Amino acid sequence: MSRKPNATTHQMELPPTPLQARGVAATWVTGLALVLCTVMILGLLGMIVIGGGKTFWQRPIDSVQLQSGEQLLGMEYRRESRPGASDRVLYRVGNRDLGQQPFKWVEIDSIDSVLEPADAVLLERQEWGIWLGVPERIYEINESGDIADIAIGSEAVLEVLGEQLKLASTRRAEANALRSGPIADINDRLERLRLSELEAQLRVTGNNRPHHLGWGLWWAVIAALVIAILGAVRIGHPLAKRSLVIISLLAVLVGYTERPWAGRPWTQEQFETHKAEVEEQRTILTTEFRELSNELVALEQDDARFRIEVRDLATGQFAPISRSQMSEPMKISQILRVVQANEIGLGGKAKLYLARWWDFLTDDPREANTEGGVFPVIVGTLLVTIMLTIAVVPLGVLAALYMREYAKQGAMISILRVAINNLAGVPSIVYGVFGLGFFCYGIGGVIDGGTDPSLVLRVGQWWVLVLVIAAMLFFVLALSGREKQGKKSLLIFGLWSGVALLSVIAVFSTPYFEGFFQAKLLDGSPTFGTSGLLWASLTLALLTLPVVIVSAEEAIAAVPASLREGSYGCGASKWQTIQRVVLPGAMPGIMTGAILAMARGAGEVAPLMIVGAVKLAPELPFEDRFPFIFADRSFMHLGFHIFDLGFKSPDSEAARGYVWTTTLLLVTLVVMMNLIAIRIRTKLKARFVSGQF
Amino acid sequence: MTSNTPKPAVRTVQDAVDTNASFETETHSDVADHESVLDISKFSLWYGQARALYDVSMSIPRGKVTALIGPSGCGKSTLLRSVNRLNDLVSIVRTEGEMMLNNRSIYDPSVDVISLRKRVGMVFQKSNPFPMSIFENVIYPLRISGERKKSVLKETCERALRSAAIWDEVKDRLNESALGLSGGQQQRLCIARAVAVEPEVLLMDEPCSALDPIATAKIEELIHDIAGRYTVLIVTHNMQQASRVSDFTAFMYLGRLVEYGTTSQIFQTPKLSETEQYVTGRFG
Ligand SMILES: Nc1ncnc2c1ncn2[C@@H]1O[C@H](COP(=O)(O)OP(=O)(O)OP(=O)(O)O)[C@@H](O)[C@H]1O
Ligand SMILES: [Mg+2]
Repeated sequence: MSRKPNATTHQMELPPTPLQARGVAATWVTGLALVLCTVMILGLLGMIVIGGGKTFWQRPIDSVQLQSGEQLLGMEYRRESRPGASDRVLYRVGNRDLGQQPFKWVEIDSIDSVLEPADAVLLERQEWGIWLGVPERIYEINESGDIADIAIGSEAVLEVLGEQLKLASTRRAEANALRSGPIADINDRLERLRLSELEAQLRVTGNNRPHHLGWGLWWAVIAALVIAILGAVRIGHPLAKRSLVIISLLAVLVGYTERPWAGRPWTQEQFETHKAEVEEQRTILTTEFRELSNELVALEQDDARFRIEVRDLATGQFAPISRSQMSEPMKISQILRVVQANEIGLGGKAKLYLARWWDFLTDDPREANTEGGVFPVIVGTLLVTIMLTIAVVPLGVLAALYMREYAKQGAMISILRVAINNLAGVPSIVYGVFGLGFFCYGIGGVIDGGTDPSLVLRVGQWWVLVLVIAAMLFFVLALSGREKQGKKSLLIFGLWSGVALLSVIAVFSTPYFEGFFQAKLLDGSPTFGTSGLLWASLTLALLTLPVVIVSAEEAIAAVPASLREGSYGCGASKWQTIQRVVLPGAMPGIMTGAILAMARGAGEVAPLMIVGAVKLAPELPFEDRFPFIFADRSFMHLGFHIFDLGFKSPDSEAARGYVWTTTLLLVTLVVMMNLIAIRIRTKLKARFVSGQF
Repeated sequence: MTSNTPKPAVRTVQDAVDTNASFETETHSDVADHESVLDISKFSLWYGQARALYDVSMSIPRGKVTALIGPSGCGKSTLLRSVNRLNDLVSIVRTEGEMMLNNRSIYDPSVDVISLRKRVGMVFQKSNPFPMSIFENVIYPLRISGERKKSVLKETCERALRSAAIWDEVKDRLNESALGLSGGQQQRLCIARAVAVEPEVLLMDEPCSALDPIATAKIEELIHDIAGRYTVLIVTHNMQQASRVSDFTAFMYLGRLVEYGTTSQIFQTPKLSETEQYVTGRFG
């Protein structure tokens, strides 16, 4: 029905609907924003996947004939069009030991012709990156020094090369086994001997620390402990049992710092005997070492008899054995892989692609991280993430429990909550600096070298402190035998914190504690007093603590009051209710917090640079001998690795591909960890929260 | 009435409410004929400044079902939760007066609340099975007292589930989550949990209010069956239910216990008009 606007006068005259009220514009704007976000996210992921995916794909080896008559062998890397000048191509030419740049720009105009020669090969080598050339000869140097050809001419060489490479890799493996097995073992033992000598030295000279209480005092301590234990048992409360654990821990601590078994300082005579023993052992080990070294040299000499000549097209130089011996052709065992790029076909390329990914995931890095694999980096990342999770989740959950279940909900707890929330916003580098100062130098320093022996707290005072602590523990136990309310619980809380504070003071100011790694420290290599896996994990744990506390608190608060009442109604104590009803019910939420913490910790770089991640870790922080995880060692981390490859690499062009693959790996790893955690969470949820009725 | 108020100042419930005073309960004599298990005398309770109970005095006969009825907010739940001291969890609660369970004080400072709650089982309005298996739910009270013997646990579980008339329905799925049960089954599971440690008194706070008529009928039947073995104190809004399941009935109004007697007395020959109006549905 059509109607003129003014035809019906009795209807009210309405202004036309304004544009924003129709909602069309809003639809467009919000929709566009969403599209933009999606495009950016997908673009980011796409770039990482494509960039990381293509790195290991083998490109053909071009033989480029320039108009100048020069010839070069290279793999086209990328093209660039320049306004006002002719286009150019970047060729990866490798052969760095010739003293040339491994990447070369060639103007398209100057190219005469491009061929893909069938006999051109790419060598992946132990050192000096790739070599491009044409294989010409394989030969063996006899015992007498004569040269015996095995194959001559590229076709013949390529035919026998596979077999020869296999033999070479067996020889290499043999030498490596010797190196990392018995030889490393002997080195290790020699190092330990040296440390034990240093320790012995320390025991003779003493270290200004008061040694040893008299037996009388020891009996007093033991008696105090017995009284405390008996008191705890008599109260008969479950807390008493727990207090037993605390007291025995205390006893162990006292025992270690006092070290009654360590005895008096050594006399010169004892020291001499010890030294003689060490010397004797050292002679045995050195002889053994020399034998093994000879064996290794023999192996290497044997290995060096098998040579290969792979000639560079531009210079006619063959791949040398090393930069200082350019006239010697390389050993076959220096080759890791030979790729006849123009001949292998699609199937071969696909196989090669997978093999390279496998190497990338399982090998150690080479050539300033731009070649080889990232295995230690993956291990480091996983370890630091796992350790941070183990550290942060229990701590965060306990804190959240206190805030939700025990603390009186009031202004204080609100302020604390706001503070914790704000802590999540502190820049991560700040945590790094704190970690270095507090964990590495503070706590790590004490673990290594003990407390400052000239501390104010002297022997007598320290024992007074211990007795005071024991008395307070006893008193607190007596108080908390029954559930108390109001002021009394505040008193108990005050006492507990007092005890905790005193214990910390006691540990850090006892002049007895001389550290666990004093000899190494004096030797100039701190163990825990420097950055490392443990401190990095704890720093990240601190960084992610707010996330965990907040989500755990929410989860705990979400456990219905009816469940708690049900539990109390059955006669459960507060702790039993928390342990058996509240925590299981809150588990899915706690897991969410843990997932967030893991994801954040795994991706963090800035604080790690300060507290432990390094460019190249000499050893894995994980070994198959006790204690398995070497938390004092420095480690490699994917995030830091990307930064290092991208911005610190001497050859940024060569590192480019690895930046992408490493990024892809990091993203995959984080996604995988999240998926696992989400699966666990879903399982828990299915178990604990299911529909009623 | 204390001696310095010679004549009762308060005659009707409304008077008591108006003067913010307590009301002397109209207790039928038949109640006194029974041996009591729980004696409440002059029990008052405050939530902060607000008084929720006014000098409630009553004795609960052993082995019988006693129903608490009254309009919403009159303090039935509060009174029930005072018996197992669940109100201790509310920090602002203050009490006066005395409760004796088997002649032992409940509110004495030396009483161990935890063991008290084991002697007084409770079933809540909304069923609250714990997020664990059916088996673990039933033996929860034993678990928390540290019972580890498998045979004892199994035996108790079966006995409790049989008492709660749910054994046949769940005996093949004891290790499945209790949350997979229907609402009525969950409520009976909670009853099983409450009777697992053979409590002296079983408190039930509107146990059927969230259930359909069939599930309600099952629970009522169950209450019938366990009466005698346990003393049951049940809160209900359903007059028919009260008259069906209970031996004694107490009518509460605005924090006062108004009238208390056998169920037939309260429903057929109430002494006070308020009670009559309430049970006939004309008031409240
Ligand atoms: N935790 C609490 N804090 C403050 N006041 C409360 C609290 N619980 C109950 N009350 C008050 O105490 C009075 C009695 O409440 P109660 O829950 O005992 O009533 P009820 O008889 O059980 O009611 P309904 O039949 O609706 O369950 C009410 O006025 C209520 O507002
Ligand atoms: Mg109620």
